[in-house]
Amino acid sequence: MTHILDGLKEKAFQIRKEMLEMCIKAGTGHVTSSLSSIDILVALYYGGILRFDPGKPEWEERDRFLLSHAQVSPALYAILGDLGFFDKTENDRFAQKNGKFGVHLQSDVPGVEITAGSLGQGFGIAAGVALGARMSREQYLVFTLLGDGECYEGSVWETAMFAGHYRLNNLVAIIDRNYMCVTDFTENIVSLEPLDERWRSFGWNVAHINGHCFESLMNALRPVRSRRSTQPLVIIADTVKGKGVESISNVPLWHGMAPKGATADQCRRELERRYRDEK
Amino acid sequence: MKNSTQRDIFWDKVYAFAQKDPDIVIVSADMGAPALDRFRRDMPTQFVNVGIAEQNAIMLATGLALTGKTVFAYAIAPFITLRCLEQIRVENAIMKTAITIVGVGPGFGYDDSGPTHHMIEDIAIMRSMPHIRIDSISDGVMAAFFAEQSCSKSKTATNYVRLDRLDKAIIYPNGTDFFTGIELLRDKGDTCLVSTGSMTHTALSIADSLAKKGIHVGVMDLYNMPIKEQKFLDKIRLFSQIITIEEHFLAGGLGSAVLEVLNNSGVNIPVHRMGITMDKGYCYQYGGREAIRRYYGIDKASLLKKITGLVR
Repeated sequence: MTHILDGLKEKAFQIRKEMLEMCIKAGTGHVTSSLSSIDILVALYYGGILRFDPGKPEWEERDRFLLSHAQVSPALYAILGDLGFFDKTENDRFAQKNGKFGVHLQSDVPGVEITAGSLGQGFGIAAGVALGARMSREQYLVFTLLGDGECYEGSVWETAMFAGHYRLNNLVAIIDRNYMCVTDFTENIVSLEPLDERWRSFGWNVAHINGHCFESLMNALRPVRSRRSTQPLVIIADTVKGKGVESISNVPLWHGMAPKGATADQCRRELERRYRDEK
Repeated sequence: MKNSTQRDIFWDKVYAFAQKDPDIVIVSADMGAPALDRFRRDMPTQFVNVGIAEQNAIMLATGLALTGKTVFAYAIAPFITLRCLEQIRVENAIMKTAITIVGVGPGFGYDDSGPTHHMIEDIAIMRSMPHIRIDSISDGVMAAFFAEQSCSKSKTATNYVRLDRLDKAIIYPNGTDFFTGIELLRDKGDTCLVSTGSMTHTALSIADSLAKKGIHVGVMDLYNMPIKEQKFLDKIRLFSQIITIEEHFLAGGLGSAVLEVLNNSGVNIPVHRMGITMDKGYCYQYGGREAIRRYYGIDKASLLKKITGLVR
């Protein structure tokens, strides 16, 4: 077990590095948001949670993963490239001329289910996929990852209400709860709390975990397929925007950009040091 | 078909196909119709009422379509287009997931409901996005045809079906096909009245009134946008003057679409556009559809007067 968790930690470190290099090279990309979500994505893709086949991205029985807060696309692209959904060297052209994909999410990339970038929509599509799967008695699960800031969108709550009422228990939503938006912390802007209670009152099972602890992530995710509940599940994962790179963590306005020059080197060093210290 | 609304004819047709095809699903934003009561009763698993939540309706419809369903998203026209416009833009125009968006009551179909329910911008807005075809329905025969088209498994793009709420009159013979996007209903004279949806009935009525005075004009029902350019040009070249008539703001509407096609192809036929001008804005007018049209100068009597001046 510890061995598996260590493996996930190491993979997360590798993906963080690759995502950071992709964004530094492109001079763009949501680095801090990606750092926030990477452990969740690594648990899903490398922890044996999602069912997929990189050789057959359209495999009918695959679990559907719909990335709703699509600004963390560079993290997902780093993972999909690493898993062999497409030639990994494509990531060297991330958000550049002749590149096939950029800052947000494109449905034409192998392994990607939807186009997203405008918040509050991937979640609703995910509910539609979950409903369609149930109508057709398909066994796959539907996963979606939302940002906490995304929960300001009214459309999220339209879907939450619907999924609770329709008891879409094949739908698993994960919220990257880093308590930050673009300009400020969520609780200073318009309070999202009590977030657990809000989701519960919409008819969801709620788990609240540490989104950077693989033990917590795996404990929350591993039972999803054998769940007996008739309600959909939301996992609220507490995270840090910028996790792994101290100097850009939890800094308002450090959003939607990549470090440059000396700052980029400093970020690289911090990431390495942090990983070594935690090892 | 007589005495039925376009809405009921449309849903009756979908009902018939859905009985044979369990993948046909209707997502309604709490919108009913007598034909839908039957659908809900007989095929409850194929009918999803999301409540008054149009954004969710489009997102769910898209998700369902991704699982192979043939999906209809249904509400009052302004709400299933404007409230969820960005969902349509991302899910259906950018991502190109094909669904059928059904809006009831374009123009002043919800006559006494006031400007929130008047739908006088939808052509401009929906035709500004790629991969969406507007099916601007003018009678029940056409409603049935596009219902059948929308049930097709081979559908590859989203269509927005605008169904009139009030018109029951039939223009076309049963079994007419509507593949060309254009029907020249009257072909005499030098002037052609080009209209869409409910206004096609008005255009025909104007043509009939003029004919009684010995003046003949053509009438073209332009029911698909984007306009199929070559087909349109082949027919419109027969005329030396065009008058477009629409129950819609002039900005971006049917008349604008006609001007664009003529300009793109270098065809120089004078165009007079008749529709809603910006200066009058939205209105709080009551007393029925024709009274509202009169306020904007697009009721039959006002149009007839203006057109008579142009065709003499």
